[in-house]
Amino acid sequence: MIGYVVQRLVSVVVIIVAMSILVFLATHALPSNAAALILGQYSTPEMQAALEHKLGFDQPLPLQYWHWASHMLQGDMGQSFEMERPVAPILWDALGRSAILALSAMAVVSTLGLALGVIAAVWRGRWPDHAASIATYFGVSLPEFYWGLVLILTFASTFHLLPSTGYAGLSDGVGAFLSHLVLPVATLTLTLLAHVARLTRSSMVEALESMYVKVARARGLPERLVIVRHALRNALIPSITVLAQDFGFLIGGIVAVETVFAYPGLGRMLVGALERQDLPLMQAAILVLTGVYCLANLTADLLYGVVNPRIRYGGSIG
Amino acid sequence: MNTQSRPRTEPLLEIRNLTIRYREGDRHVTAVRDVSFSLKPDGALAIVGESGSGKSSVAGAILDFLGPASEITGTILFEGQNLAELTPVQRRNILGRRIGAVFQDPFTALNPALRVGRQIAEPMVQHLGLTLADALGRAEAALREMGIDRTAEVARAYPHQLSGGMKQRALIAAALACEPPLLILDEPTTALDVTVEAQILRLLSRLRADKGIALLFISHNLGVVRRLCDDVAVMYASQLVEFGNVRHVLEQPAHPYSKGLLASRPPLAATSRNSRLAAIDGQMPISAEPDAGCVFAPRCPFREPSCSAGPQPLTIIPGGRTVRCWKAGEVGPWPRQQVTAAAPPTFHRGDALVNATRLSKTFDASRGLTDWRLSVTGGRPQVYRRPSRVPAVNDVSFSISPGEVLGLVGESGCGKSTLGRLLLQLLRQSGGSVEFDGADLARLPAQALSPFRKQAQIVFQNVGSSLNPRLSVGEALDRPLALFSLAKPRDRTRRVEALLDMVRLPAAYRTRFPHQLSGGERQRVAIARALATEPRFIVCDEPVSALDVSVQATIVNLLADLRDAFGLSYLFISHDLAVVAQLSDRVAVMYRGRICEIGTAAEVLAPPHHPYTQMLLTSAADDEPVTGPAVSDIGHGARTGCVFAARCPHKLGTVCDTTPPPLRTPSTTHAIACHLDTLPDTAVPPVRADPYPQRAAI
Amino acid sequence: MALVVGGALVVVLIVVAALAQWIAPYPYDQMHIRDRFLPPSLHYLAGTDEYGRDVFSRLLFGSQLSLALGMTATLISMGIGVPLGLLAGYRRGATDEVIMRTLDVMMAFPPIMLVLLILAVTPPSLMKTAIAIGVLAVAPIARVTRSVTLDLMSGEFIEAARARGERLRYLLVRELLPNVWPVLMVEASLRVVFAVLLGAVLSFLGFGVQPPAADWGLMISNGRAFVDTAPWISLAPGIAMSITVIGISLVGDGLREVLDPKLGSRR
Repeated sequence: MIGYVVQRLVSVVVIIVAMSILVFLATHALPSNAAALILGQYSTPEMQAALEHKLGFDQPLPLQYWHWASHMLQGDMGQSFEMERPVAPILWDALGRSAILALSAMAVVSTLGLALGVIAAVWRGRWPDHAASIATYFGVSLPEFYWGLVLILTFASTFHLLPSTGYAGLSDGVGAFLSHLVLPVATLTLTLLAHVARLTRSSMVEALESMYVKVARARGLPERLVIVRHALRNALIPSITVLAQDFGFLIGGIVAVETVFAYPGLGRMLVGALERQDLPLMQAAILVLTGVYCLANLTADLLYGVVNPRIRYGGSIG
Repeated sequence: MNTQSRPRTEPLLEIRNLTIRYREGDRHVTAVRDVSFSLKPDGALAIVGESGSGKSSVAGAILDFLGPASEITGTILFEGQNLAELTPVQRRNILGRRIGAVFQDPFTALNPALRVGRQIAEPMVQHLGLTLADALGRAEAALREMGIDRTAEVARAYPHQLSGGMKQRALIAAALACEPPLLILDEPTTALDVTVEAQILRLLSRLRADKGIALLFISHNLGVVRRLCDDVAVMYASQLVEFGNVRHVLEQPAHPYSKGLLASRPPLAATSRNSRLAAIDGQMPISAEPDAGCVFAPRCPFREPSCSAGPQPLTIIPGGRTVRCWKAGEVGPWPRQQVTAAAPPTFHRGDALVNATRLSKTFDASRGLTDWRLSVTGGRPQVYRRPSRVPAVNDVSFSISPGEVLGLVGESGCGKSTLGRLLLQLLRQSGGSVEFDGADLARLPAQALSPFRKQAQIVFQNVGSSLNPRLSVGEALDRPLALFSLAKPRDRTRRVEALLDMVRLPAAYRTRFPHQLSGGERQRVAIARALATEPRFIVCDEPVSALDVSVQATIVNLLADLRDAFGLSYLFISHDLAVVAQLSDRVAVMYRGRICEIGTAAEVLAPPHHPYTQMLLTSAADDEPVTGPAVSDIGHGARTGCVFAARCPHKLGTVCDTTPPPLRTPSTTHAIACHLDTLPDTAVPPVRADPYPQRAAI
Repeated sequence: MALVVGGALVVVLIVVAALAQWIAPYPYDQMHIRDRFLPPSLHYLAGTDEYGRDVFSRLLFGSQLSLALGMTATLISMGIGVPLGLLAGYRRGATDEVIMRTLDVMMAFPPIMLVLLILAVTPPSLMKTAIAIGVLAVAPIARVTRSVTLDLMSGEFIEAARARGERLRYLLVRELLPNVWPVLMVEASLRVVFAVLLGAVLSFLGFGVQPPAADWGLMISNGRAFVDTAPWISLAPGIAMSITVIGISLVGDGLREVLDPKLGSRR
């Protein structure tokens, strides 16, 4: 187990470093003239050159990378080109708001998705399974932003039940806070739910058709016990991996959903930064989002190591 | 203890006219047809048959294992109750409480996510109303009864941490947790090594004597059955063909199929090169039509036209046996195979074809960070690396002459498969050398390996995966011909047909795919593929271990015929000493990477000299084995001493642990690695019951 | 069963996409200024958009873009991923480690980040989007190929081939690949679906195909502003996408049903 943990930690460090290099290189391949962007269209080449020198763009790439990375580690994410403010505070704020969406969605997906998958597996071949199967088919067949629009159309425009855009902090009241969250979270949940439910179903079916379950039944154990203690325990182990993978899709979903709902989170900020080629903001946002994904994967891996007895107790007794 | 008060003469389990059919798509397959038998409260009944005979389905029907696609008719009475008439709840209460079950594959029968002790305790909590703590305590006691010493550790362990033998013991403990009067065992030892199997059988025998449990033992292994059971029922193609006392049936079989089955087992003794096993031609039909006549008739050497006239009923012959053959009283022993006697070749060690010198192989699994271990000793944590592994093959030397068969016998994990692959350079050795026809293979340049590859081939054990499922038989056989340019394109078809003929398959099989062939047929194709390159040497890696006994005999005979016809040499690897003895001129016994003993078949087997050889022989024989100390399944071999020291019943003392055993050579062909001068208990070695008794033919 | 229905849908889609120019009632960029924001009718089967363009025709042209994107991206990912997976699974050892670690780094990115990274720094086009998505999918395809290869390697027919001295190319192409195809076909159908959906997201965000192209994602994005008054502008492309995706998914599921029993002892 210790070896497993160490191995994972080392991987994470390596990956984050590799990612930062990739992000840096990619963003520096921009053909745009960053200096011209900042100074505006009336700037002269001399002013641009001066600014470039000030920003360090004329230095060799590895050195620039080093500056950038060391600043990042200290929490200094540079200055946004467009907003002319330090990036770090705006970014953390936006991250916080996105986190609310993400965590709420993951909570719903984990519980509801697993439950649906298990129900579909236990009643496989009968109507709950077919119903779930059809629902999930539709769920995965459309991207999140489409569902977002449909939900807006239904709840906001037609029935005027919920606000269609924006965000309200807790200071504006819990009701307002929650009402702004419902639609975006529901949108995020829909597509992921389908994915998780399907995969949980198949791993649960595999567990239910395994030899050890048959043996448990042959020992006269009641079905409920067999399902919960024997089958479910084994089926949930791979579900952890599925949920981790879904976190990656979630991040993608957040970008689209925040755009549809004009939710002021990190995803929307990233899209804006990309459109306006605001370099420091872009780099920081991508790195942070990817870092979050990395951590989520690490957590999932560690959780998997704890839950899977083969990893937790490696050796053999004899 | 058994609290039932029913009289001991009424049967515990009674099966009447049991018929089981499976729906497969729109067809029906009858797996069991009109089977009846009964089992006394302290009896032990074996159901014996080959794969496809329906024996497992009988157990499945009692245990309600068969799934919704099955149709069961007939009566199953357990303790006087008709199981089909019970409600699901009542049925469930009987299972586990009154009937225990142990299955073939211990690796899949245990839940990998639950601790072993918990799984044993569960039925007790459920059926006996114990608390979990009490049940776990009893579970540990049960494990101790099974011969396990570190019961607390084992109970807390997860299944993947235990060896196969341990797992099976735990499963037996779980089956007996509620002390049921009936224990059903479906091939419980088939997946285990022969020495482990012997221990489990001893255990079952003791449990039966101590607790008075009734056993229903399903197996294809007649020897195993003889040791444990009172009565035996022989099944063939869904029908019961013979039933009677186990010793009577095994010594004087009445039904031709029983005779053939018994005759096809190789005797546990060295045999001449000219002998062939008695074999049953053809194979068991998948869907039998018993109304048209005796199902076995097509394969029966005693058949007459009246055998196929109509259904064959069960008759009772003198001695209380039932047989489904009207000729049972008149038929003689199963015909022997006759082979023209040829002068056996003499082998000179000087002209070796294959020469292995001090071969070693250590697998260095890619060691990453998972090798680090954390231990807290004396309150201070330490990080250290896991010590490297013991070599799979350790300083092995031998030679094989042209036309000679060297048998290599040992249990799983001893390194015999690795050794076979080293000889063919499918693996690179860590030390030592392999010479073929005088040339050191490791020194050959890459181009020169191709002629070697043509002359040295391999046949594998696993018939399911040794043929590419996407290639037809013809394509698979054509490829070696094309690769080595052994025939012009237009001649290749004829060559392929000739190869099929050599292995006694019809030419029409060229267009078939592996999934359309039976296990025995696939193995023949694999042999044909090996022969396609016209080799001089073939490594046979457990080629018959996955096959039924009667099919085994035909393949062994085929290998012997091919050897004679083409002057082939083999390295014949197997865990089955009898099969090895049948085919081999010399035998090497391997344990944990080292050769313990090597010599001619006669020298090694009778009498056995090395303690491990003796252990293998007695485990394989039908009589009660020499009792050794209670051993754990995985011995931790000492580094410097004898590899067998930890398990040796004749261990001398610390010398066996510290000093490598010397090589004793009682003759020029015989070598033994042991500290002992002579082995005690070298009485006349146990030999399998002779299928051709001197007594009057039945 | 699933295969038949899905297959039929896919065939219809391909035909429609190929013949869009002849089937569509109007060219995709033809504006009818006086007929803006018309709801679905016989004239305009799915209504008109803010420029008076026929939504239905644009749907048909959009199918070309989506299918082209899906197929190209999948071909790219399989062309790179399959050989990598085969190699990693066959060779094991150092080759395997290097390949897998590289793939791990690629998979450590949330899917959309990698693509955005590539697309945001260069002017977007259909080809670039296809390449970006293709590169993204290399890792999962390589992993699946590798795991199937590892499974097959434990079968002894590979060793038998090596015992004949067969070369690496023969082993990979003639022995392993024919056994890997069935699983890959199923995986490929999933990848096409993924590519179509991801492409739609990218267009929606403005990083995919540019206006006035009739891309479904773009259409949905444009229709956002009018979702209260003219919802069909956004809803219609969604229905088209849904049909496409469901069709391809059914094909994938159908293939899996057909292939699994034949693979027999694999499960």
